[in-house]
Amino acid sequence: MKRLVSGNEAIFQGAVRGGASYFAGYPISPTSEILQQAALYSEENPEFRFLQAEDEIAAAISTISASLAGAKSFSATSGPGFSLMQEALGWGHVVEAPCVFVNSMRVGPSTGMPTQPAQSDLLQIKGGSAGDYYPIAFYPNSVRECFVLAATAFNAAEESLSPTILLADAFLSHLYEIVDLEDIPIDITPRSKEPLGKGQRLFTGTVHDKMGNVKTNDPEIYRRWLWELKDRHDRAAGKYPLFEYLPRRNSETLLIAFGITSRVISSLKDRFSIFRPIRIYPVLERELIEVTRSYRHIIVVEGSDGQYASWVECAICRKVMRIPCLGGGFKLNWIQSQIEECLRGTTR
Amino acid sequence: MDRSYKELLKLRRFPHTWCPGCGIGAVLKNVAMAVKDLGWSDKNTVAVSGIGCSGRMSGYMNLDAVHTPHGRVLTSAETIKTIRPDLNVVVLSGDGDLASIGGNHLLHTSRRNPDITVFCNDNEIYGLTGGQAGPTTPKGAKTITSPRGERYAPLRLGHILTQHVPYFYARTTVYHLNHFKKCIHEALVWKGFSFVDIISDCIELNGRRLGFKTAHQMFKWFDERFHIVEGKRDHLRDDELGIASAMEEEVVPPAEKVAEKPEIPLEGLKPFTLEELRRFDGTAGKPIYIAYKGKVFDLSSSPLFQGEKRMRCHIAGKDLTKDMDMAPHGEDLVFKFPVVGRLKE
Repeated sequence: MKRLVSGNEAIFQGAVRGGASYFAGYPISPTSEILQQAALYSEENPEFRFLQAEDEIAAAISTISASLAGAKSFSATSGPGFSLMQEALGWGHVVEAPCVFVNSMRVGPSTGMPTQPAQSDLLQIKGGSAGDYYPIAFYPNSVRECFVLAATAFNAAEESLSPTILLADAFLSHLYEIVDLEDIPIDITPRSKEPLGKGQRLFTGTVHDKMGNVKTNDPEIYRRWLWELKDRHDRAAGKYPLFEYLPRRNSETLLIAFGITSRVISSLKDRFSIFRPIRIYPVLERELIEVTRSYRHIIVVEGSDGQYASWVECAICRKVMRIPCLGGGFKLNWIQSQIEECLRGTTR
Repeated sequence: MDRSYKELLKLRRFPHTWCPGCGIGAVLKNVAMAVKDLGWSDKNTVAVSGIGCSGRMSGYMNLDAVHTPHGRVLTSAETIKTIRPDLNVVVLSGDGDLASIGGNHLLHTSRRNPDITVFCNDNEIYGLTGGQAGPTTPKGAKTITSPRGERYAPLRLGHILTQHVPYFYARTTVYHLNHFKKCIHEALVWKGFSFVDIISDCIELNGRRLGFKTAHQMFKWFDERFHIVEGKRDHLRDDELGIASAMEEEVVPPAEKVAEKPEIPLEGLKPFTLEELRRFDGTAGKPIYIAYKGKVFDLSSSPLFQGEKRMRCHIAGKDLTKDMDMAPHGEDLVFKFPVVGRLKE
């Protein structure tokens, strides 16, 4: 049945379709609606469990513990809450707990501008917790995609045996579109991990060998463990090289944008080529190299001061131009004038 | 002596990591014995632990074990119990982990009362990190972060954990062995959140600084500080070892119904027209009248209308029946004022 669905609702329904049976969260704008949906849904479906935790730290730990106990679990928050969840995110990678964290970005740092959208938590998905880890992150730009990618995130989590991150922004969370959620086909990856109570395993955040024995002073074991983690993530991420490329013939300029920014600049597709990465991390290196090769100007339009642009530069070994849409200002007119300025070479 | 509890210990990983004389070994052994006595096995039991010396306990148990980040042990244990109610969840942790960095989780998990059992190795110090003052360090005790004596009074777990009925809080020491075993057993069979505060010794990083030469001297000190109280208690004093528990939630007696005021018949009242009513708007010393559901009330004594023609959007001398729908309060607020007449149609 076609109906008006918000981004937040689509994320929740997508997660449920992806097999989720546990949600832990803490109220925070702009994802409180997901928490409310979970509370309502668990009233009607007792097999779906729900915890309104005392803080985001507890919510994140709870999500990962639920995954170890055998449930597909997820949590939703925004920037400040995601900062609190970083500890658990690192833990989830070491104990190999597949689960999903939804981060609907708002203007930061700290409380920032709680109701304004931003895209400035990209470095946080990768660099917020201690040590090296490689979470897979997706970023939809429509309500339908919110639904599909929420389910996909669960599949990627099962394949990478780690927390996966679904990004959104305050715009997308509260964006209403007409979709028929029941009609969207979804593949579900079954649980890849035996639940607790099936043996004598130790799930520890300390580096351990294959037997689960804690090994804290052997660099060789650590190296082997980290490369295995990286390989597993690369393999899992390799199954989802998701992007959207709208080439414009004879255009010398490529705009790179994702999430809500890509929606704002979509009307420029008659003038410029547009590349929209959907898998934000690991960065789509091969695809970016392939696509950017034939363009003279590359402009990254994003809601942060060049977080994704720096990744693009690393990937393609070339300077790109940046248009940071800061403080929740995503006006098309302004972006257009900035593009003109970029092309005249008057801006940085 | 029955040594079958050793099946629950990962003996291949022994010798363990703890210092000689440490109390954690006794905690691990006695918990394993109690679990074995209850007939629990790796098929239905999960050990969850936090960080610190005590956090290593789960790694030495032949069970599925979860070793959580610092302080998060209770949230993790509660969630495991939520997802898998068929599993017995045993938490093995320490005072720094549970009461300091995990203090918020202690408050809220105990409030939600999941059916888990918590064993807190309370050695009154941060042991693994080298002997810093912890949340339960007694006032005046010398540690490496309180070289002139701890300045603040310790957290009293017994007070925190007996706030909400039902509760189960036991205090024991590793020295009072029979009492210790009894507390562990009682806690494991308790339905709901049960917490055993095990006063334990850390001779290497705490005891020596306090002037004790051996672990045994610390045990004698425990014996001097505490005495066992038998029977069921509601609360434990600071020097008592025992079990404080309450099962039934206190029943709050339903509030007595306020007697309803007798209905005043409309006929006997003075009739007002809307035109007449409008004159009583509080100006020039006149009383403040308003109409509500056909009756006229005298609101002159209302502190909100005092000296004003209006209170926010409510205008004196008007029929305010429709305002009630939008008002944040109920109609009781109007009914407490005296009735002076009725509204003529």
